[in-house]
Order: sequence, then C-alpha cells, then structure tokens
Amino acid sequence: MALMADTPQPPRVLIVDDDAAIRDGLVDVFTRAGFAAAAAGDVAGMERHLASKGADLIVLDLMMPGEDGLSACKRLSGKGRPPIIMLSALGDDADRIVGLEIGADDYLAKPCNPRELVARARAVLRRARDNEGATAPGESVRFAGFRLDIPRRELIDPDDVVIPLSAGEFRLLRAFVERPQRVLSREQLLDYAFDNDADVFDRAVDVQVSRLRKKLERPGGIEIIRTVRGEGYLFAVKPTS
Amino acid sequence: MAAVARSSRGLPIAGYLALLVALALAAAFVAVMAIVLWLPPRPPDVMRADIVAEHFQAGYDHMRIHGRFIDDRAMSWRVQAEPPGQMHLPQMHPTQHRLAARLNLNPRQVRIAAAQIQRSDVFVFRVREAEEMSRDTRREVERLRTEGRGVIIERAPEANPEIERALEEHGIAVRALPPPAPVPPAVGEASGGVPTPPTPPVPPAARVPMFAPAPPGVVLISGFEIGAQLPDGRWLVMRQGRNWAELSWIGRATLVIGGTLLVLSLLAMWFARRLTRPIRNFADAVQAVGVDPQSEPVREEGPRELRGAARAVNTMQARLRALIADRTKTLAAVAHDMRTPLMRLRLTAENAAPEQREKMAKEIEEVEALVASFIAFARDDPAEEARVRLDLTSLLQSIADDHAEAGRNVSFAGQERVIITGQSLGLKRLFSNLVDNALKYGASSRIKLRREESAVVVDVEDDGPGIPSEQRESVFEPFVRLNEEGTRGAGLGLAAARSIARAHGGDIVILDGEKGALMRVTLPA
Repeated sequence: MALMADTPQPPRVLIVDDDAAIRDGLVDVFTRAGFAAAAAGDVAGMERHLASKGADLIVLDLMMPGEDGLSACKRLSGKGRPPIIMLSALGDDADRIVGLEIGADDYLAKPCNPRELVARARAVLRRARDNEGATAPGESVRFAGFRLDIPRRELIDPDDVVIPLSAGEFRLLRAFVERPQRVLSREQLLDYAFDNDADVFDRAVDVQVSRLRKKLERPGGIEIIRTVRGEGYLFAVKPTS
Repeated sequence: MAAVARSSRGLPIAGYLALLVALALAAAFVAVMAIVLWLPPRPPDVMRADIVAEHFQAGYDHMRIHGRFIDDRAMSWRVQAEPPGQMHLPQMHPTQHRLAARLNLNPRQVRIAAAQIQRSDVFVFRVREAEEMSRDTRREVERLRTEGRGVIIERAPEANPEIERALEEHGIAVRALPPPAPVPPAVGEASGGVPTPPTPPVPPAARVPMFAPAPPGVVLISGFEIGAQLPDGRWLVMRQGRNWAELSWIGRATLVIGGTLLVLSLLAMWFARRLTRPIRNFADAVQAVGVDPQSEPVREEGPRELRGAARAVNTMQARLRALIADRTKTLAAVAHDMRTPLMRLRLTAENAAPEQREKMAKEIEEVEALVASFIAFARDDPAEEARVRLDLTSLLQSIADDHAEAGRNVSFAGQERVIITGQSLGLKRLFSNLVDNALKYGASSRIKLRREESAVVVDVEDDGPGIPSEQRESVFEPFVRLNEEGTRGAGLGLAAARSIARAHGGDIVILDGEKGALMRVTLPA
C-alpha cells in the first residue's frame, strides 16, 4: 500500500477483453483495489482509449475477434507504451513464454485469482516506475558468464547448461539483476520478489538467497551475491542485455 | 527437350543399374580387347622336337658323366626300370633316330612320346620361348667344354643367331645342320665327344619373327616324354615340366584384368555414392520432417523413385502442417470457450461472502485443472520442444521448492549437478505431474535422484496407499484413475508423463515405496 500513498493519482488501468462479463468484473476488481479502471472490447477500442485518455497499464486478452492480443502487443512494443499484462485462455508454459517473448510484461492464464492479477499489476507498475536498470520484458540478461532467460524463467550457466529455477529463485534473481550493485534490504527483496499477500518472512529471503547462490556457484568464479552485514544483499556484477 | 524432361524427373533406379551394368560390360570388353591387342599371344608350351632332343642329349650326357641329374627347372628328370610308353609316332622317327645316333644307342633304346604333335606348317605360333630352352643346353655345353670335352653344336638353319653368337664367344663350334632327312640318318653321323676344329661363323640369320611359323620339317610337340636306356639297363626319362615362360604372360594378363577391375570398382563406388547420397539426404530430411513438421520440405533429387517419395513426403508434410494448425486453432477455441465462463464465474465469486468465495474458487480451480490437463494432453507433442543440456538436480530442486513455497510437503535429495540432454519444459511437466499425482494420493512426496552407469534414475515416492501391482500398467493409460470417488484430475497426468519419458528414450515404472507408491523414472544419461 506504500505505492498508493506515493502517487496522488490512482494508476489508470485499461482492461481489454471481448467478454463483457469479464470486462465488468475486472473493472470492479480493479476499482475496488484503488485503480482508475476503464475497459475496451477490442484492439481498436483499446487504441482509441489510449489515444484519447491514455493508460498506465493494459490488461490484454489474447483471443479476441478482430486483431488478437499477441499482434497488438507486438505492434505496440517498443514505442513508450504502457506495460501490458496478458490475460489469456491459453495457459501452457509454452503460451506463457510466447507471450513474454513478444513483449508482455506479465502473463496470466484464465481463470485466475483476481487478487493475484491485482498484485501482479502492482508489481508491473512498480517495475515500470523505477525502471532505472530494469530489464525490458522478453529479453535475457547476461552477467558473469550466466544468462537469465526471462520469458523461460531459466538460468543458463557458462557451460550452456540450463539451470531451472524455482519461481521464488527466479523472482529474486530478477530483482537482483534489475537493481545491480546496490545494497538491497530483506524488506526490499521481499517487496520486489514475493507476492504482497504471501506470508513470508525475512528468513525466507535468506533461504532463497542461499539456494540461488548455490546455483550461481562455480569453482573459481566470483561471488555474485554478496552479504552486506546488517543491511542486506548486493548483486556484485553489472548485467548486460 | 528430352534432356530437360529427364533432368526434372530423374533416372529410375533401374536405369542407374542398367547404366552401371552397361559400363561394367564395356569395361570388361575393353579389358579383353586390351589383352588380345596389347599382350603378345600366350606362349605355347609346344617345343621343337629337335631342340628338345638336344636338351635331352645334354641331360643324358650329364647323367653319364656325373651320375646325377642335370640341374634343370624346365624339365623333370627321373630314372626308372621300365621304359616309358612307346607310341607309334611316325613323325617322330627322324628325331628318335637322330637322338639314338647321337647317344650312341640303338633306336629301340630311345623312346619319344608326346601328347600332341603338330607339324610346324600348321602350328603358327612363335616358338622363341621354346627356343630359349636351349639356353640351358648352352650352359651345359659350356660346362662340358670347360671340362675339356670338345663340343659341336649343330645349328639348325633357322636357329637364333644370338644363341649362336653366345656359343661362339665361348669357343664352341657351330655348324649348320643338314636339312632334316625324311629317313633316319646313318649311325655315327654325329656323336658327342668328337673334337672338331671350329668352323668359321656363318652370317647371322634373320631374327626369328614373333609369329613366324617354325621352319618347315620341324615337328612341334607338347606333353612329351623322352627316355633313353642307360648303360645299366635302366631308363633315363625326361618329361616336360611347367611352362615358366607362361608366368610372365599370366602376370601381364593379371595386371590388365586387375587394372580393369580397379577402374570398375572405382566406377561402382562412384555410382553407389551417387545413388545413395540422395537416399541418405532423403532419410535425413524425412527424419527432420518427423521431428519438426515446420522444417524445410524435402528436396526432390536423385533417382525418379526417390523424387516421387520426396514429393509424397512433402504433400504429407503440408497436410500435417495444416492438421497441426487446425489442431492448434481448435484447442485454442476449446480453451477459450471453456475458460471464459470459468473466469466469469471466478469474478462473480469475488462478490460472494468470503467463505463461499473460497469454496467456489476451489471448485473453479478443480475444473480449470481438468481443462488444463485435457488441453495439455491433446496438444501434447513431445517432439516440438528443443533439447538442451540441463541440470536435472536444479530442475527437481525447483519443483520441490515451488511446492514447499506453496506449503506442501515435497522434499528433494540427490547429488549436485546431474546434467542430461532433454526438454526443459517437458521434463518439468513430467516430474510435476508425478509429484502432483503423489500429492493427490498422499500428504507428502519425496524426490530422489541418483546417477547410474548409463542412466539417471529419479524416484518419486508418496505416502499414500500404494498402487496394486495389477493396476501398475493401466494407470498410465489416458483417463484411467485409481479410485473414482474423491479424486480430481482427468487421469491424464501419468499418461503424459510416460509419453514424455519415452520421448526422451526413458521410461516410468511403478514400484513399492517405503510407505506408498514409488514411480521410478529412468532417463538416458
């Protein structure tokens, strides 16, 4: 809720879905969560809305009559567009990867928990806001010989071996590579890397960090995640895209 | 126009083979012609009877002087009690009589037998090799000379002048032989051991031409046997030995045939390659199409049959692609049509009282899990995803961690860094399905990983009731669930898991765990 206090204006979210019931339901959910929610029934309506009123975030359905969400997302990518969360009836890992690779900032499968959608929306907005060093969606990040494939949520080590990450490890590592060479406190990491409503404690951060360190450990390699006594952790290398 | 048509359709395999056979026949013909034209004719093993008789005389003399056989590789010598078989050979009478006279023997004490006798005017083959036999004679004559015995060689009018010259160099007199008389010559006409002063050399005769017939009146024999009685009454017999002159001819013929064979085999190899390269390419291309229907179409090349097959595969690939596109579209539509109402329901549930909301959410989740497994199973195509090298330890650890993070009791144990080649999403689905299945029947799941010689073994164990052995195969069939009441899921998880394991060259079997069931996944290392 710290986010809401910082911004005098409620964030504007645009919901694009061809199903009226879902549209209205989502507008309801977002309005209740403190967003200024608007809705459009197709891509053309979305573009009209963006042109006239603008938006801070788009929740975009994938399969719609007329132009579908994927191509709209592809078309919008790269020109200062608002972040996009894809909400799709296709929920496979492969579909999710395609969506993220095309440039969506997040991808959720229908039916989802509306509160999770709101939480993801906040996370995406936050990432977009302090976007200094933030990774562009659909890319991979390199550091110290490793590569973090963001859409696939995989770490590829210097020997080209895929090191699968758990969801928690991935979010933590992503939080680190987006804020390199900065001391991050456990609270900050909790905030960045864990769902707001997940009841996790500082101790959980330590556990995840130690797991992540193990996966990043290579004989003769440098220490990538450093402990800063009493303060938190520091991602010690500069990532390149 | 014809050439264009042929190059576009290619030669049938039978055509290639016919071409090869034709080329082989042509090569064989060329080889035979080369032997006929390039090689001199095979030297005959016929010899001139008069020279053979001379040779025998030298051997006989040698036997009488030294008491042992003459060193001779052209003829085989032996001594026997019985005379060799006498044949009635009127053509041989002059030779027989002359030889008897030279050996100081009665004509009855000399026997000549021959398998074949030819008059030289019929037998038109060169006889140089046969004449070269007389070199042995020459050598022997020289030895006799150095032993102090004067020797006169009677020169046949057509004898090789080279031999003559060589003899003269060694001080051996050569004199012309009177033309063979039709009747046996008188006794004492000539005999070894009578010293005669050398006569001046006659002018060298013309070189014997290769194909010249033997001089008239000379008898050519082969397969002969000549015998003469020794003073002790036994018989010295000389038999024609191996025709050594033939060896060089055989050698040269072998060279020609070998060379032809070499050329032919190179040709055959080139043909085989030309014929099999498109087949290999075709196999590779078909393999690629099998793995990825979106791959390049198969190139239509090579023999006509192969082009036809390639065209058929391309048609099939196009159909396959259309089918896949159809399936993807259908699945997307099904997913959309089923999940949209679920999403509506989920949003409606948000307006319900909190405890009702949770209940509804749980129901919706269950239906969604069902829909997800149907769609996942229907679109299941283990071949689609690329294979990468991946750390199986991290993969299993991340599955356990994800469950643990959600508050479920899933543990992992295994050595660090077990690297295998496989599909990261596919393998994740495989093991997630097994763990989900374990959690469906028990409260906890333990994943254990170990590496064996040529495989990695992953055990996923639960603490449920276990699986009766008679059902351990059937649970892998789609839509089969162990106990019908109270279980969620469509019964597709294990089926999908096994198909992924098998696509990786591995398998899943069910064993007894410590408490519940144990699913053992074996994957090639």
